[in-house]
Amino acid sequence: MIMQMHLKGLMFDPYNNAYIVILREEDRSEMLPIWVGKAEAGSISLALENVAPPRPMTHDFMKSVLDVYDAKVISVVITDLSENTYFAKIHMTYEDSEYTVDARPSDAIALALRCNAPIFASETVIRKQNTEELEQWLENLKPEDFGKLDS
Amino acid sequence: MMSESEPSAKHKLVEFKVDRVIHEASTDTRILVLTRVESPNDTFPIWVGAAEGSAIKLAMDTMVTPRPMSHDLIKSFLEHLGVAVRRIVITDVKSSTYYATVYLENKGVERTIDARPSDAISLALRAPCPIYITQDVLARRSNDNLDAWLAKMESKNLGTPEVQET
Repeated sequence: MIMQMHLKGLMFDPYNNAYIVILREEDRSEMLPIWVGKAEAGSISLALENVAPPRPMTHDFMKSVLDVYDAKVISVVITDLSENTYFAKIHMTYEDSEYTVDARPSDAIALALRCNAPIFASETVIRKQNTEELEQWLENLKPEDFGKLDS
Repeated sequence: MMSESEPSAKHKLVEFKVDRVIHEASTDTRILVLTRVESPNDTFPIWVGAAEGSAIKLAMDTMVTPRPMSHDLIKSFLEHLGVAVRRIVITDVKSSTYYATVYLENKGVERTIDARPSDAISLALRAPCPIYITQDVLARRSNDNLDAWLAKMESKNLGTPEVQET
């Protein structure tokens, strides 16, 4: 069983010097935080703000490769969580065939946003991650931690 | 006669290879040092971001990461599409910013895609395929005292793990 997730936010985690992408399931208010690197966060942020950079960024280039061959991203799925690492799959179609490609969630999300493809998470992943832990972490945040992304 | 031969000379391609990635500690950027295949003393530096530098370094070290990195994913897409990367070319420079083109081939048809040199080179190392710079870009680079500057940079960084010696 998979659930459709919506990107709710992108924030800086000063304790781990990383960024957190927050995905949320609307009906059941399930939250899925995914820690990503600075470059990946920057790429997701550009897609969210709909900013066209002067030169194509990595995921713009990735999309160009698919566009040139008329390959379409159907959906991306956050499939697994193991030792605090998330795994994702990108589903695409090309010449009437469907393909599934393994990816990091950050690449999958950055690409999905550019291709207007839906983002899903498997129920197992959501069950595995402890939401309480995130809530506690959120409660400990100070207002100054909510800075604006610098990239 | 001269005006006819000029455009082809301008677009003549010179093959380079990635020699090393230097960590520029003061600005937290990376310098990608390319060397000319036919004359290794001819170096061509390109400043790239930290993430782009590490993507290139991973490919140089043929490191296999537990999860696919962005350029591994691009390679994986190309494999599924049955597309080969034939070459990448650094085609232009405008106000110190380089531009590159990736040449792809599928069923005998060649297609090109614009890219940043860091993405193009990251993919070229993984493909693998040759890296070229146009004669025109080589002629327009401004590397006054570059060799002296590079030597200074590298002696400063000597022994640090970021320095890639090949």
